[in-house]
Amino acid sequence: MYDIVLDCQSVHHWFGDQKVLYDVSLKVVRGQIVALVGPSGFGKSTLLRAILGTHPPASGQVLMNNGPVTTPGRDRGIVYQKYSLFPFLTAHENVAFGLMLDQSSLPFRLFRFWKWRNLRKTHLRLAAELLHKLGLGNSLHLYPSQMSGGMCQRVAIAQALILKPEILLLDEPFGALDEATREEHQQMLLELYQENLTEKQAGRNPPYTVILVTHELNEAMKVSDRVVALSKYWLWEDENHRESPGSTVVYDAVAPGPPRDGGAVLDTFLKQRSEIRQAAFQPTTRHKRGEFIRFWRECQEGKGRGVMQ
Amino acid sequence: MFRKPISWKWQSALGTAAILSLIAAYTALSHHRQRIDPKDRTVPSWHQIWSEGGLLKAFTPKEETGEIVVWEDFKASFVRFIVWFALSAVASTLLGLFMGCYSPLEAYFVPPLAFLSKIPATLMLTIFYVLVGLNFKFYGAMIAFGIIPTLAVTIYHAAKEDVPEELVFKARTLGASQMECVWSVILAHIFPKILEAVRLSVGPALIYLFAAEYIWGQENHGVGTTIRLQFHKGAAGATLSFGYLLLLGTLGLMGDSLQRWFQKWWCPWYAH
Repeated sequence: MYDIVLDCQSVHHWFGDQKVLYDVSLKVVRGQIVALVGPSGFGKSTLLRAILGTHPPASGQVLMNNGPVTTPGRDRGIVYQKYSLFPFLTAHENVAFGLMLDQSSLPFRLFRFWKWRNLRKTHLRLAAELLHKLGLGNSLHLYPSQMSGGMCQRVAIAQALILKPEILLLDEPFGALDEATREEHQQMLLELYQENLTEKQAGRNPPYTVILVTHELNEAMKVSDRVVALSKYWLWEDENHRESPGSTVVYDAVAPGPPRDGGAVLDTFLKQRSEIRQAAFQPTTRHKRGEFIRFWRECQEGKGRGVMQ
Repeated sequence: MFRKPISWKWQSALGTAAILSLIAAYTALSHHRQRIDPKDRTVPSWHQIWSEGGLLKAFTPKEETGEIVVWEDFKASFVRFIVWFALSAVASTLLGLFMGCYSPLEAYFVPPLAFLSKIPATLMLTIFYVLVGLNFKFYGAMIAFGIIPTLAVTIYHAAKEDVPEELVFKARTLGASQMECVWSVILAHIFPKILEAVRLSVGPALIYLFAAEYIWGQENHGVGTTIRLQFHKGAAGATLSFGYLLLLGTLGLMGDSLQRWFQKWWCPWYAH
């Protein structure tokens, strides 16, 4: 019924004796913006790396469009909090870098120089167009060290988006930004989501599927249409474990969207935030694994938002 | 002041002042020696360096061939140096780069390079003398043995540790192959450091070149800066020695500035 882009099937991961992920299953529908939250050190980035293909799971599997993920590939874009850009390239060269790698080989660039030169012009033009669209038209020739953190993250998002990946993975991309810049970037994500809805209404595939890893609950609920929480604070004793087997999905629900002052949506927003805290962040209020997992049920009941409607 | 950058003008002014101080200190020392004994040539005056069997003679074309001695000597040394230094630098870069990128190569090459880097090339003079003989390759053996182990290890560390793995992962998601990651990400990222390491290797490489020329000079009557200075040993040849040292220092300063300029021009991002 839904167009599943990403399917994590019973993913387990550990480093030596340290158990990190336990039986994580997650299906992501094309066009969704999924916020992945949870306490620090509870496996969010590990799950992202498994999806990226740089650190495949110790057991279980990750499928992209039904194909297993074993290495990084251009169907998955990534934006990190740090080291998001290549420091030796200017803004538009950074954005064009993916096009270069995707559409030309090293021998082609070395031995068919004139053809490469023409192709390069096209790449740089496309990169410049995208940067103009994201409000960075005046910063094309700046190096990352000459740009602010917010500008760098915008360029990094453009760099990932220009290849039109099946899924965009954002690993706490706005974590180091000030409040105002962070809000600007959140707005940018909401605009991408709006494009998804427009495309879906026109009967086409929504172009942007995003997993946003963040520790900011407000951000998670504001920009996503679904919130998933990973945590170790669940009743693993009930499943016959003698010690914590690692983090698993303890919360999965439709996100309320941006809060509006004084309205019913604000109440829902605050209620859901306190629910996520209870499900994932408080060691004292452990609960059954499936207690707060209701996303697919909510969708069946017609409560899904955006592309799930 | 602490760790604060200064303007280019200030930098140039202070650098020039330091060189002028050196010249002034030498002039004062030479003047002092000349006052005690006007015939003393251990610290010759500028005039003596230029005129008395020193640079003036070296710059005067030979009657029989028309060659200018100083040009002949420096050209011979420069060719030996540049050919073998360039080859050694390229070999070190490739070796260090691939060691930093591929663990089996790292495991294979690190122990022998660590072993070889602890042996001064000057101690290998007699071995190379026997192995390759006194010919053009002799200089190559000395320079290569002297700089490849340390330069390759420096570049290997840069390739392994200076490039955040996130950048490599990102390049892979952008469609880069392994070789593209090595060439377009890792090499591009560490290139300014490679230039710096190569620049710092010039000094040791010159020591090994001159050591090789010294041996050559004992056996042959060839041309080259150290070979020429060997013919003018002792106090009598001090005027020429100082002249050659002055020229070498000036060329070294120019070469160093040229390399710094090239690094800034080729890697403008590194200066920011």
